[in-house]
Amino acid sequence: MFGALFAPVPPPDGALLDLAREFTPRVQALGPGEALLDLHGLGRVWATPRDLAGALLAAAHARGWSDLRVALAATRVAALVAARGRDGLTVVPVGQEAATLAPLPLDLLDLDEERRDLFRRWGLGTLGDLGALPARGLAERLGVEGPRLRRLARGEDEAPLVPTRAPETFASTLELEWPIDGLEPLSFLLARVLEPLCAQLKERGRRAARMELDLGLVDGRRHRRALRPAAPSAEARTWRTLMLLDLETHPPDECIQAFTVRAEPTPARTVQFSLLDPAQPSPERLAETMARLHEWTAAGRAGAPALVDSHRPGAFVMETFAPGPVGGPGGGAAVTGPPGPRLALRALRPPLPAQVTLVGGAPAFVSAGGVRGEVVERAGPWRASGDWWDVAWSREEWDVALAAGGLYRIFRDRLRDEWFVEGELD
Amino acid sequence: MASAIKDALEDLLRSRRLQADEPLLRGEDARGRALSTGIAGLDELLLGGFPRGQVSEVHGASSSGRTALVLALAARLTRAGSLVAWVDPGDHFDPGSAAAAGVHLPRLLWLRGERRGRETLLPAVSAVGTLLGSGLFEAVVFDLAGIAATARQRLPGTTWIRLQRLIEDQPSALVLIADGHVSHGPGGSALALKAAAPRWAGTPPARLLRGVRAEVREARRGLRGATVELQACS
Repeated sequence: MFGALFAPVPPPDGALLDLAREFTPRVQALGPGEALLDLHGLGRVWATPRDLAGALLAAAHARGWSDLRVALAATRVAALVAARGRDGLTVVPVGQEAATLAPLPLDLLDLDEERRDLFRRWGLGTLGDLGALPARGLAERLGVEGPRLRRLARGEDEAPLVPTRAPETFASTLELEWPIDGLEPLSFLLARVLEPLCAQLKERGRRAARMELDLGLVDGRRHRRALRPAAPSAEARTWRTLMLLDLETHPPDECIQAFTVRAEPTPARTVQFSLLDPAQPSPERLAETMARLHEWTAAGRAGAPALVDSHRPGAFVMETFAPGPVGGPGGGAAVTGPPGPRLALRALRPPLPAQVTLVGGAPAFVSAGGVRGEVVERAGPWRASGDWWDVAWSREEWDVALAAGGLYRIFRDRLRDEWFVEGELD
Repeated sequence: MASAIKDALEDLLRSRRLQADEPLLRGEDARGRALSTGIAGLDELLLGGFPRGQVSEVHGASSSGRTALVLALAARLTRAGSLVAWVDPGDHFDPGSAAAAGVHLPRLLWLRGERRGRETLLPAVSAVGTLLGSGLFEAVVFDLAGIAATARQRLPGTTWIRLQRLIEDQPSALVLIADGHVSHGPGGSALALKAAAPRWAGTPPARLLRGVRAEVREARRGLRGATVELQACS
């Protein structure tokens, strides 16, 4: 037995499905004001189809939907068309689908304009008129579409019911008998909430991309924290650790009376690991480690450095540390020149202001804080400039060796005519 | 079934040592496998590379090539797919130099210290502990070069012993970069670097810095030494 609900004035979004789901989980949404219900197996609760239809109608009236039309039939099409065409409650007797639908207008079928005109020209006005036509003749004139429309007009099903999945909500609330203070008791309670929530996520093949912890405090205020790790996870232990680490840095200022954990689900990732590539870091452990380094990450002082497409010396950005697969994009520049280790710059940030004595236009003595001495060898100047359209820079760069030891990169800011030590070459 | 075949194949790879220089396979105990720098003379001096599960150090005066040698290690590891962490309380790391040395930057976690004048050594030690405890990184580099000895001395006396205890069960190596000897584990390496005169080429104004020849000595084992040519970045 199938049921159909038709609301001439569509109720608020999802409300019709909510009503239908009170009776059966197998519900198909067809439009804003239409729904099909699979009512098989409800005979033990409601003795007759009319009792069941009456219960549906009563539930609709309880919501204030007095104009809702309800129809029950052995086929989905019959129930749907009857609900569209008849007010109130309709129960189509089994085997009487074609006869019940026969007087109803042909427009109740979902016909395109061309077909509707054609049937009007043929003089067809009701479903009965179409159902009475020979299938062979319709097939000759309309192709496979003809017999299909004829079957629909006779209340015969074409396609199976495809249930519309209820929106997945993953949330859990715990009301506490006594308020708690501190993170240690909360740790145990979080485990009680998170474990079933994560198990529910796993059962549905989901992971949580984001979790929100909503703490209800004793003074009625809310303390909300949201966490979004680098990789989705359904590991209760990981989420608990992340939440506790977050609360350590953002603690509530009152005792906790209740709390809710909400998860934002995302499909579980499917990863095919390679046999010969090295083991990849566990996303959960990586997220946990980065959370433990919160003091550094929050200030933007931890991450993967990335070079930017600029000639400005020392230009880089800090990106989130989320190493991808081996050989993935974003690597450093290809190593050019002779093989072997390279001298590296140990940058001074910001560059150290320096006093530089020039002889013949070349640095002869450098004095800048701890960097001081006679220049015994030098290479330069290398001139560079850029960003004239924004914050312009222009510099003259030298590599110098000092008598006291040490190789340094110094430069003259040509716009301000000032010298700086950029760093040590090590 | 597929899992069993994969395990069998991985065992075969291990037995044939086809992965000898590569990062760890799942479940592989590689504490005995040193982290090679890819510099032949240096690896020979280190008896294969920096030992895992140990605190090692690379120390020397300014421009002796300390950073370059450790970047060579980071480049070799990150190019092979491993993760490296660089804890830099003095904020001296230069991503451009690292990329030029061949470091695959997305696989390098850089922790930058705050601007000068703020105490960052204690949080940096704590971060090193976190990174070592995670077991995610094959090498954790702790750059102490340029940090005043007085600042180091303000650390608790047990700092280095604690880090050694923390790392000894991990497949990671902790490498310290410093101006002078700081600490190393009982099985760790201590490389002492001495800068020789830099090499220059050409005549002014077209003069170029070609590189530095670093003299490396394994301080723990005494007299043995190696010379490493460090190229200037072009």
